[in-house]
Amino acid sequence: MNTLARLGTGFVAALLEAWQELRIHRLRVLLSLIGVTIAVASLSTAVAGAGMAQQLMKEQYERNGRPALISTQVMEPNLQAGPQDSAEIAAAFAKTSERFKIEYTSIIGRSYGPQASLQGLSVETEVQVVDPAYGPMHRIFAQHGRWLEAADAENLSPAVVVDKTLLGALGMDDVSLPMTIDLRSNDSSVSVTVIGSTSTRDNGMIGQLWMLPETYERWFSAGTPLDNVSYTMWVPIEGSEELATHFAWQMQAELPGYYVESYRQDYLAWGTEEGLAQFALVVSGIAGIILLLGSLSLLNVAMVTMKQRIREVGIRRSFGATTSRVFFSVMMESVVATAVAGGLGVLISVAVVSNPRLINSVLATGLDEMPGFPVEAALLGMGVSIAVGALTGVLPALVAARVRIVDAIRI
Amino acid sequence: MGGAQLLMLENVTRSVLLPDDSELHILTGINLTVTEGDHIAIVGRSGTGKSMLLNILGLLDRPTSGTLNWQGKDATRLSARRAAAARGRDLGFVFQQFNLLPGRTAVENVMAPLMYSSGRDFWQRRRLASEALDRVGLGARLDSMPQTLSGGEQQRVAIARALVRRPRVVLADEPTGALDVGTGRAVMELLDAATVESGAALITITHDANVAALARERFRLEGGCLHPLSQEAVR
Repeated sequence: MNTLARLGTGFVAALLEAWQELRIHRLRVLLSLIGVTIAVASLSTAVAGAGMAQQLMKEQYERNGRPALISTQVMEPNLQAGPQDSAEIAAAFAKTSERFKIEYTSIIGRSYGPQASLQGLSVETEVQVVDPAYGPMHRIFAQHGRWLEAADAENLSPAVVVDKTLLGALGMDDVSLPMTIDLRSNDSSVSVTVIGSTSTRDNGMIGQLWMLPETYERWFSAGTPLDNVSYTMWVPIEGSEELATHFAWQMQAELPGYYVESYRQDYLAWGTEEGLAQFALVVSGIAGIILLLGSLSLLNVAMVTMKQRIREVGIRRSFGATTSRVFFSVMMESVVATAVAGGLGVLISVAVVSNPRLINSVLATGLDEMPGFPVEAALLGMGVSIAVGALTGVLPALVAARVRIVDAIRI
Repeated sequence: MGGAQLLMLENVTRSVLLPDDSELHILTGINLTVTEGDHIAIVGRSGTGKSMLLNILGLLDRPTSGTLNWQGKDATRLSARRAAAARGRDLGFVFQQFNLLPGRTAVENVMAPLMYSSGRDFWQRRRLASEALDRVGLGARLDSMPQTLSGGEQQRVAIARALVRRPRVVLADEPTGALDVGTGRAVMELLDAATVESGAALITITHDANVAALARERFRLEGGCLHPLSQEAVR
């Protein structure tokens, strides 16, 4: 118990000494720690920024389908035709998905070429025919208005959702939703109601428009039947490959004479995670170099300062300071200083990274979900600053501990 | 004197190795016994080894040969850790150049040795340091920085610092060396009174005859050995 109390007192005393030393030499400490503060702020910002970039890349990838996304296509082998659309196939897909208890499913059919027009402006658009579940499956959020719902199939005026590119091309304003536009395909023209708008998809090359299959069927399919139809499902990642295989077999059984193919189609199935990991690695490497330079400058100042404090060390030794206590105290000076600098660096990083305007201007695109400052970046910043303090404190502490008392006092 | 024996040196020698690998014998046969309440002065010319002897007495240095007993135990076998503990607990140092810690106030300087104590002394260090400064007449200068104090005041802070852990032996190396005659005398009287009050032994190294005359036992360090000096011889 006495030993524990003595150790505890020694630790507290060493911390107090370190703090006192920093207080006395605050200007020198401040100047020497600028490098560490900047380095830790850079490191934390880089790690957090990498997180942001990963989030952005993830969002971009997930727009093509969130993992695990299984795509199912049905073909007639003898005709060597592309994926077919028919009520029979749709029913087989619905029946098989129900059998596998899959909650999120959607048809995907595309029609290129329809013209959207409003007040004399007319632009080509890509129509995507999807079920309501397509939105969450492809990270589509309505930034204004709302996404498609099953009940929209009953609307007298066909309900559609458009992206920002189409919205801009037609000179429409977000706040004016819902709004009616004309959609012309071949010779037929239908007035549709834009009930919501989303962020720009596919780099904004062409404006996009989404509607329910029932809507397309009622108003457009007669003139322009859908081709390239596929069906997608959003399922848990674990076991998704096996599920795809079994799903194809089951659906094949429902569709004699057809060839059914199901496979993973999300970015994880393509191995893009490695790209994200490499990106984080490169950013961390750059931050590490910054930190190394900051540490060297800190070590340099600490060594020069220690040479000037030899006499002080001798005086302390005459008070009864042991070699280990001198070593620990000097090292703690460095650790306490870098911990304070690291804390400041992390705060700077939080201020920078948590500023949505700044982040969006740097990333040059909008994030659907602004991630919070990653705790691991803050912990890494603090951990690294303490480790740097300990490492850069070792050399001066060794110099202090090796001082011969009689020589030090005589200086 | 009748007090407990604190330090005992028998035939203590100390040599140093010169750059040409030859040995220089500085202390050749020191015999000295220090008991509680002693006030010993050691005089000698520069280069005779006075400071070296003080370092040995303060467990800062070890003799080359001979016996050094600290409170009845062989001090030459003490580990560095135990020697440091003994220094912190039982020995107080007063230096010629005061050796106050820069950038710290008077009270922080006096608190410094208490940072190496444990228990109540550590946790009550500010109160103990304030009381020690009060005893040397600096109760009103607790928060003064060393550079704002006169030489005499700085040495009084150093005395308070040496006495704050209630040591059994106080070692003073030329304590008046950086002071004028009047201030030096006042400081020595204060040091003598403070050690008498606490019962500590006081060993003063000096080349000032007036300072040596204040001691109850006097020695001249010459030829590596201590030679007793009478009061008259000092004067």
